[in-house]
Amino acid sequence: MKPAPRGAALPPLLFFLVFAAAWQLAVVLLDIPPFLLPGPLAIGAAALENGPALLSATAVTAAGALAGFTLSQLAGLLVAFAFAEWELVRRAGYPYAIFLQTVPIVAIAPLIIIWFGPGFPSVVVVSFIISLFPVITNGTAGLTRIDPELRQLFALNNATRLQLLLKLKLPHAVPYLVAGARISSGLAVIGAIVGEFFAGFGSSRFGLGYLVVLTSGQLKTAYLFAAILASTFLGLAIFWMTGRAGDALLARWGVEER
Amino acid sequence: MTTGTRCSALLLGMLMLAGCGRSDGPAPLTLALNWFPEAEHGGFYAALFDGYYAEEGLEVRILPGGPEAAVLARVATGTVDFGVENADQVVFGRASGAPVRALMAPIQDSPQCIMVHAASGIERLADLRDVTLAMNPKGAFAQFLQAELALPNVRIVPYTGTVTQFLLDPRTAQQAYLFSEPYIARQAGAEPRCLLVSELGFNTYTSVLVASDRAWERDPELVRRFVRASIRGWERYLADPEPTNARIAALNPEMDAAILAYGVGTLLPLSFTAETERNGFGTMTQERWDTLVAQMEALGVIAAGRVRAAELWLPEAMPELDD
Repeated sequence: MKPAPRGAALPPLLFFLVFAAAWQLAVVLLDIPPFLLPGPLAIGAAALENGPALLSATAVTAAGALAGFTLSQLAGLLVAFAFAEWELVRRAGYPYAIFLQTVPIVAIAPLIIIWFGPGFPSVVVVSFIISLFPVITNGTAGLTRIDPELRQLFALNNATRLQLLLKLKLPHAVPYLVAGARISSGLAVIGAIVGEFFAGFGSSRFGLGYLVVLTSGQLKTAYLFAAILASTFLGLAIFWMTGRAGDALLARWGVEER
Repeated sequence: MTTGTRCSALLLGMLMLAGCGRSDGPAPLTLALNWFPEAEHGGFYAALFDGYYAEEGLEVRILPGGPEAAVLARVATGTVDFGVENADQVVFGRASGAPVRALMAPIQDSPQCIMVHAASGIERLADLRDVTLAMNPKGAFAQFLQAELALPNVRIVPYTGTVTQFLLDPRTAQQAYLFSEPYIARQAGAEPRCLLVSELGFNTYTSVLVASDRAWERDPELVRRFVRASIRGWERYLADPEPTNARIAALNPEMDAAILAYGVGTLLPLSFTAETERNGFGTMTQERWDTLVAQMEALGVIAAGRVRAAELWLPEAMPELDD
């Protein structure tokens, strides 16, 4: 990745300041009550006031999201290998992989709690289910969409199946897997928060999903916005870390930048 | 600010627009419930079905609620005319700048309880230990219990609205309304025991009728008529619930006549108290509101001094006593 040119941060920062100022002005001038739409100043105040709770909730949600994300990368890669290596497995299993993406997670969350018990395990399972699909599809695409001429070249040189996998298919799949991981990283955070709506702890250690339920239920809208902001930052952080790891992988495997 | 200029404000969006369309002609008054139709709303349905609202010249439509009913926000913005919510939610609303007030309280003593398995040996709330406790964090009672009780080895998880987890796991406890979940659990073969939160001194008016400050200032007489008819509906419902229950059961497939009948039986002592004997059905007192505000301030769930208890209710909305 090329280093950002000097002053690249200026336009988004400027946009943010103008946007926040307009928002604050609108809230004041139109006399919008804080339970309906708080201004950025009120949100900032709520974030400061509840700083420790927000930080600890973000850490709890981060743990759930990272666990779900890690599991989905491992399981997704294994499934993608199976799909790529055995055509029959792919044809038999692919419809069920799509099922993962279409299943209404909110509807099955209560079942997940019954199966895995309330608390952290269920949060991880929800995050895992939601973030798995992009890994499978991207991984399968990367492992199978190989240039036929390269395949022939390997065949001509009597490459074994393992050599074909390690030397051709896997390197070819890396950019696909990195792209899949990026999509999956954002979904893992959403999954953890949705999981917490249903299964999260409400005692001393609670996550952002719990805070969202609490603050929206009690009309503490400024605090709710602060919690939403924290989950957005968490998503961005995990997305960014995934991007860095992906860049390192791409550089290591010597594949051209996409 | 006129309704027109308010509506032009893009930021207010749908809520306000919905409010504008309605103010053009005579439209039915709307009453938004905080949950699916249950016994805790029975009196309002009786007032509608038995024609008490009509006798006051009111055309009323009751809007069933659910987990995301957002009753107070809708009442405050004028999307609906009246709402049903619990007293602690009125305090939360007022603390967040929602100009809403309680008009009358059909359920004086809170039916909020913690349901445990009888076999757990837990006989008082103070004995709660070594269980998974499902509670919705929204209600102030949940914070009250956490502040008041030691709760050793109690894992608190969100309440998802079903008793399934409770039935499956003998080490589970959950929030409940005295007249609803325990009945369902018993039907499913469990042997539950209910521990009333009010016994620890946290007793919120339940299913109170609320309106916005604006509605009261615009037409106090209309609000009074609505309250009067609602009270008649409640008295009628608690005396003879069957006709109304049959219609509630038709509106809410999760309810049947038997559970609703059980609900009314449980409601009677919670609705008719020494206080209502003296001051009429649905009555409220400044003292109860003062206590609730003080308790919620002490819990830290609202900022101290943010809410004045006198702003939370409208004694003038209640009908005069006959005698």
